[in-house]
Amino acid sequence: MRTKRLLSVLLLAVTFVAGTGVTLAADAKAENPKAVKAQMEIDKADKARKKAASVESEWTTTGKLIKKAQAALKKGDYDTATRLAKQAGEQGEIAYEQGASQKELRMPSYLKY
Amino acid sequence: MPASQVIERICLEKRHIMKKTLIKMGALFLAGGVALAAQAATPEEDRTAFTNHYKFRFPDVPMEEYPNGAYAIDKIGRENWEAIEEFPPYEPFIDEGQEMWETPFANGKTYKDCFSDGPGIKSQYPRWDKKQGMVITMALAINQCREANGEKALKYKKGPIVPLMSYMAFESRGQITNVVIPEDDPRAMAAYESGKKFYFTRRGQLNFSCATCHVQNTGLKVRTEVLSPSLGHTTHWPVYRSKWGTAGTLHRRFTGCNRNIRAKPMKAQGEQYRNLEYFLTYLSNGLTLNGPGARK
Amino acid sequence: MTKKSTRLVPMAGMVILLAGPLQVATVAAAEGASAVAEGKAISFKRSKGNCLACHMIEGGESPGNVGPPLIAMKARYPDKAKLRAQIFDATAFNPDSAMVPFGKHRILTEDEIDKVTEYIWTL
Repeated sequence: MRTKRLLSVLLLAVTFVAGTGVTLAADAKAENPKAVKAQMEIDKADKARKKAASVESEWTTTGKLIKKAQAALKKGDYDTATRLAKQAGEQGEIAYEQGASQKELRMPSYLKY
Repeated sequence: MPASQVIERICLEKRHIMKKTLIKMGALFLAGGVALAAQAATPEEDRTAFTNHYKFRFPDVPMEEYPNGAYAIDKIGRENWEAIEEFPPYEPFIDEGQEMWETPFANGKTYKDCFSDGPGIKSQYPRWDKKQGMVITMALAINQCREANGEKALKYKKGPIVPLMSYMAFESRGQITNVVIPEDDPRAMAAYESGKKFYFTRRGQLNFSCATCHVQNTGLKVRTEVLSPSLGHTTHWPVYRSKWGTAGTLHRRFTGCNRNIRAKPMKAQGEQYRNLEYFLTYLSNGLTLNGPGARK
Repeated sequence: MTKKSTRLVPMAGMVILLAGPLQVATVAAAEGASAVAEGKAISFKRSKGNCLACHMIEGGESPGNVGPPLIAMKARYPDKAKLRAQIFDATAFNPDSAMVPFGKHRILTEDEIDKVTEYIWTL
């Protein structure tokens, strides 16, 4: 009896989750492909920003660009959003490289021992 | 000893040293590819290198001037600074801090119960705490004391911690910086090395390290600002900064420095900045504490 | 009349032939001049090149001295491309260079660096 109830609850839950997934996907399809592209670039940029942060090398400029991109997306200015997000993503990658390339301490030549 | 023999001996010794070094290097390499050159210098060698660097660049500036920061090397800035020091803008902070120090917590206890040598205890910080396995700064110790007595922790960059630390710094004037890196705990040296690594790492969109400005270009000007030497960087905090229009902590300054170079700041009193403070304060070993200070 | 016109046609042609390249040259010169002017604006702007933070430039107010004064640039950089590369990323030539990598770190765009190079090269 108990297992049956549990099973039905589970089934309901699965149906609900699956249902939401389908609606979301449908929504995305219905959405302007430019908006989808902008959101994708923003997500990519945020991932790059976090990657830079993981090597303690994040720039202050990157988060600001992402915020601006999000604001542009909200306003429906997808081209601006995409452009800014791309810039942010590029910055994240460069900042990561900057941190990663200095994983080992390299003493500068101007300090003499 | 004839010259040829001397040379032969030197060669032999060199070969011996080289052999030893190679073995050591091999061992280090096996230990996991630790940065060889970087790890070679001891803290005392670091401090000597910094000292010699500034001595060479500013031969007329005596060591006891370094606690005055850029004003040790900037004659024009110094005149203004001396005028400001006639009526120190940090004075109200000292008075306010004294009141805080003397006011009991809700449980009736006071800061004195935590710091029996207080209030003049600045030279005891930062120090390695073996039990907690981390660098303890004075700011952190203050909050640990507060929390142990059921009080809320204070913020680390501005606010009430600034007057309290100003008073404690004032009462510590004349003490000598003396950071110790205990040899019985390798984690202490690791913390120092991590602070040193932070100092020399280029970061931010502008790609500067602390050393870019405060070693390589010390004494030169960015616009009209003379870049200060790192020896003496830690002696005079908290600082009343005209740009802030108030007094703030060393970690607030770290935050500002990082922002200037467009690097996302670390957390005030987080591990990175505490380790940086540990390294930076070690460099000033032997210099007199003269906080609180006033800066442009 | 006919005589006159036959003489005029080639003359007119010559005028056109002469004016053509002349016109192109003036346009190019104007473009160059505007690139230099724009380059100067970018160089002086604090949020862009901010060259004056570290370099003395004639006519620039409160310059720093972390970097060398920007004078005799053509003599110092006979190859303009080398100057551009220096502005783009000075650490490529000297890892300890304090100079901000304006191009590598995307502080200036490629176009902005071209213009700044044009301007700095005139100093």
